Amino acid sequence: MSSSTPAGFMGLELCALSRQVGSHTLVDQLSLQVAPGEILALLGPSGCGKSSTLRLIAGLDRASSGEIRLGGRVITALAPAERQVAMVFQSYALFPHLSVERNLSLGMELRGLAKAEIQHQLEQVLALMQLEGLRQRKPAELSGGQRQRVALARALIRRPALFLLDEPMSNLDAQLRDNLRAELRTLLRSTGVPVVYVTHDQHEAMGLADRIAVLREGRLQQLGTAETLYRDPTNRFVARFLGSPSINLIERGEEQLGLRPELLELAEAGSPVPQGWEALEGELSHREWLGDRVISHVHCPGQASLKVLSREAPADGALQLRWRQAHALRFEARSGKRLPGSGAAHPS
Amino acid sequence: MARLLLLLWSLGPMLWQLVSSLRTSDALSGLASGGWTLEHYRQLLQGDPPFLTYLLNSAVVGVCSTALTLALAVPCAYALTRIGRRQARSLTLLVAAAAAFPAVLLFLALLELARDWHLANQLLALSLPYAGLCLPLAILLLQAAFADIPIELEEAALIEGMGLWQRLRWVLLPLLAPAMASSALLVFLFSWNEYPIALTWLSRTELLTLAPAMARIAGSSVYTIPYGAFAAATVLGSAPLIALMLLFQRQIISGLTQGAIKG
Amino acid sequence: MRWRLWLLMAPALALLLAVFAVPLLHYLWLSTQAQSVLTGLLPEPIGAQQWLRLWNDSRFWQDTWQTLRFSAASVSLEMLLGLAIALLLDQPLRGRGVLRTISLLPWALPTTVMALGWRWIFNDPYGPINRLVAGLGLPAIPFLSNPAITWMAAVGADTWKTTPFVALLLLAGLQAIPADLYEAAALEGATPWQTLRRITLPLLTPYLLIALLFRLAQALGVFDLIQVLTGGGPAGSTESLALYAYLNAMRFLDFGYSATLLLGSFAILLVLCGAAALLWRGNSRLQGALR
Repeated sequence: MSSSTPAGFMGLELCALSRQVGSHTLVDQLSLQVAPGEILALLGPSGCGKSSTLRLIAGLDRASSGEIRLGGRVITALAPAERQVAMVFQSYALFPHLSVERNLSLGMELRGLAKAEIQHQLEQVLALMQLEGLRQRKPAELSGGQRQRVALARALIRRPALFLLDEPMSNLDAQLRDNLRAELRTLLRSTGVPVVYVTHDQHEAMGLADRIAVLREGRLQQLGTAETLYRDPTNRFVARFLGSPSINLIERGEEQLGLRPELLELAEAGSPVPQGWEALEGELSHREWLGDRVISHVHCPGQASLKVLSREAPADGALQLRWRQAHALRFEARSGKRLPGSGAAHPS
Repeated sequence: MARLLLLLWSLGPMLWQLVSSLRTSDALSGLASGGWTLEHYRQLLQGDPPFLTYLLNSAVVGVCSTALTLALAVPCAYALTRIGRRQARSLTLLVAAAAAFPAVLLFLALLELARDWHLANQLLALSLPYAGLCLPLAILLLQAAFADIPIELEEAALIEGMGLWQRLRWVLLPLLAPAMASSALLVFLFSWNEYPIALTWLSRTELLTLAPAMARIAGSSVYTIPYGAFAAATVLGSAPLIALMLLFQRQIISGLTQGAIKG
Repeated sequence: MRWRLWLLMAPALALLLAVFAVPLLHYLWLSTQAQSVLTGLLPEPIGAQQWLRLWNDSRFWQDTWQTLRFSAASVSLEMLLGLAIALLLDQPLRGRGVLRTISLLPWALPTTVMALGWRWIFNDPYGPINRLVAGLGLPAIPFLSNPAITWMAAVGADTWKTTPFVALLLLAGLQAIPADLYEAAALEGATPWQTLRRITLPLLTPYLLIALLFRLAQALGVFDLIQVLTGGGPAGSTESLALYAYLNAMRFLDFGYSATLLLGSFAILLVLCGAAALLWRGNSRLQGALR
């Protein structure tokens, strides 16, 4: 994604942004854009450079090379305070010795805002985040979800030109996380500023973000909508990182075929293979029952265990596993690169 | 049983001083049995200078040294936790070695410094060497406390636009309060108890702090059968510290163990 | 950013240098200067003569022996007693907190105050111990006037004052040992002695080492206690290196030699503490290898 910038782009732009520490490259020539009102997720495993990127944007770390622009202004060398960014930390970083109210107002007080103005903004944000009843509490007296709301409120009250979030959900339990996703998305979109959201959780990225940037070892692998990344990954890394259960890789000599578990079908052992299909003979090793669907783990000679997602559970014993040739994504076995002309006819 | 023994071992000698200080000189030397008196305390408090002067001097030096130590140690400890790990480690090692160094070996050079800079017989000037000697422990303690504060808190403050002073004042120092209290108490205890430097820096009687005053009383022949007065002096000299210990035992204990372990 | 951090450290580092580094360097210079009444208290370079004098000074060697004897006895007593007290206070007993505070009181007292107190306790014949002894019809113990006994009296007083510090440190170490280790040992059917030997002591090692090094350094510099309790007597039998250096400077006004003595003491301290640290490290590495 090193496309040329349209003149007067008002969002966030990273241009060939890099950060080296010693001989270690944390972020490598990263270029991307986030439009105002757009939510971009930085997704990848730990150590992929997503948090480093966020810290560069916030100004907490210094870029080794490259440029950061916000609203057309170059902010690469500015101090964090001068960037007008707001950040929600993974640990929320609420000041433990201050009440909720003071946590929200301290920054404004120190910037010398008028008392009445502070009060006005405080009331507004407290109401928006439904924190009125908790204003006198200390962070230690709040639940995880409440703490997250306070952290969001503190970010909102800054009226930032850019919103940064570093794994804001990872300290919440799974149930709460699912419930909050839509709410958070609405809230973030309503700010009308670019939002960069770091996560290692694909569900979160897919559920929240307009576009997802997948990072690996500091390098951008692919940038696109969740659907593009899922259906049309540029390489094996992206293909494997998205989707659960994860994609099956079938060894074919120099090549690997990537097949999503829902695109594999089960048939009776030894059935004739129709035109345009391919098949492997195997044996059912075990089943995972998910309620509405079943994951069948199938063992085929010469292959790692393959997963098939289906509505009905197959019978024990030998069976045939088959797929439409057009559905298979072909990767170069050694490099993991996607080979051209594969996976074109993906079903919608 | 073991507990009783420990109690006796710790308190026995102190109680003996208390009892002795209240007995008449005749009773102490076994000439007469019985006989209780406050005479020894009267003698001390009306001495020239009165004993309270020494306590006051020690308190003044203690407070001043504590303030100076904290003022220097807090920024230093902060910087040590924010500077690169490699530099911090070698500096910390040096500081820890200094913390164990027996101060008495420094008295001669410090005395010459005092002479060169005309600091001898200046009560408040004693705070300089005291702060220097206490800095290692204070730095170790505060550094450990700074390291326990998540860095995100300061980063959040940074993003809020707070300057260094504002971050310290509003975010870090309030969280550092327990460690600062511990360090302050330990520094105060040290200055209250310090002997060799006070002995060599101060010669004017009315400026003496408690420790050299005690030694002078011990060596003086003013008190003919002096043990009653000695005992009264030990009681009066210990009382403020015992009060301090009982009031702030939690902070002192945590300071002592933290300082030694993290160092 | 980097320079700002150094700026924050600068005042503290400057004072540390002035108090620790400058004196040691100054001694190094002063030990090559004669500065005494004979030179009109002005420094005159005399090379290594004072180091030679130190080497041939029987009083220096006697004081070294006395200081080592005092340190070895008091530090080992303090470590043993301190460990015992720490183990006692680690038990979930009633009144543990109060007992801990009370047992720490001796440590908080000024050394001169408590030394004066012990002088009275050791008094012959009016001290409490000798009254007790007399009550039993035994001859009084000349605590402060017999060279064979006085140094032990000093060890006793020092032990009384500093054992609480060791105990407190070791107690912190004991409380840092996870309880499930003891539970696992109990399930294995370990005896209390085995538990102490195999679990408690190995895990307490760092704390023991810290206490040992700190106490050793302090004991080798013993001054306040000796000066007030015995004044170095009787017949110089309790004089420590620090006291000798002090007397040279303040009584004999021989500053050059005093500096030489102080450096000599520092060298002994460095060697002993270094040896203790290395021995311990070698030992733990050996144990690590055996495991």
